[in-house]
Amino acid sequence: MRDSRDDEQLMAALREAMRAREAVPDWFIEAGKSAYAWHNIDAELAQLTYDSSRDTERAAVTRSENASIRALTFTSAHLSIELEVTEGSLLGQIIPPRGGTIEVLTSAGASTTTPVDEIGCFSVVPKPAGQFRLRCRTTDGTDVLTGWTTV
Amino acid sequence: MRDDPYVIALVTRAAKGDESAWNEIVERYAPLMWSICTRFQLGRHDSEDVAQTVWKLLVEQLGKLREPAALPGWLATTTANECRRVVKTARKCERLGTMPEEAEQFVDPEVIDQELLLAEQNAVLRAALAELLPRCQQLLTMLFLSDPPRSYAEISATLNIPVGSIGPQQGRCLKRLRECPILIALVEGDRGSTDPGGEPGA
Repeated sequence: MRDSRDDEQLMAALREAMRAREAVPDWFIEAGKSAYAWHNIDAELAQLTYDSSRDTERAAVTRSENASIRALTFTSAHLSIELEVTEGSLLGQIIPPRGGTIEVLTSAGASTTTPVDEIGCFSVVPKPAGQFRLRCRTTDGTDVLTGWTTV
Repeated sequence: MRDDPYVIALVTRAAKGDESAWNEIVERYAPLMWSICTRFQLGRHDSEDVAQTVWKLLVEQLGKLREPAALPGWLATTTANECRRVVKTARKCERLGTMPEEAEQFVDPEVIDQELLLAEQNAVLRAALAELLPRCQQLLTMLFLSDPPRSYAEISATLNIPVGSIGPQQGRCLKRLRECPILIALVEGDRGSTDPGGEPGA
């Protein structure tokens, strides 16, 4: 027979375990669950390597007239996707330039495909509302998926 | 690392396309990754970036993991590496004045090992609780895990049992919890390495 101190110790450990789980935000769990969409998809991940909005506070003092245009860059091993967010659209370019398609995937599961011209330019109109990611497939067979983002 | 047949089964199922197994892996190990991101003091954006990258790497590796039991260790190491990358990128992009020594302190592998051991223990405890009958789970939750603690009268009303039988049922539920095989494995594992500093992967 175990004494009650053992029980109290076990439950204290369990309490800590539950607390550790509760400390994790839902969006962090979601990032993990949504990653399963990659299962059996042979695309590279393009990571967000630049986001002008992250400089906002610092840049506020020296803000110029074009500071309101948000710019993002996603980078993978084989290409970069540069984005500019205007009021109603998302303008982008593939670097190095080449043609293909851009697919906009929303967190709700919707998908729309837009052509990329031979100099790598594309536009998404209207710009995606809510969370989305881009999958870029180029004519030379490169397949790249960005992380989730919102604009 | 302990050889956890349950984790091995989850990885195998997820590799075959079972999304619910994948979700369970995420639920189980997200707290480990979160604690490491917290150690690196990452903000929401960077933590999300790290989580996406690490889980994506794992999805790609699912079918190739030769030792699924080594998963927690792999997740801890990969998360720490990604955190370091993100911290470096942030410093380059934003020219943060973060002191290099300060960052060095965060990358101490011993800290990561401690987080790994603790997270493993926590995951096993949560899994053991989840394996109990729903009634036992409810009772133990109300007795020990509620804040503020519930009164016997409240427990009696919610679970529809006489106040007098709460004590005996609590005893039975705790006994079942202790007898849970994965918990026994954990306790025996602890006896094997009593060093609180934590020998990783013993």
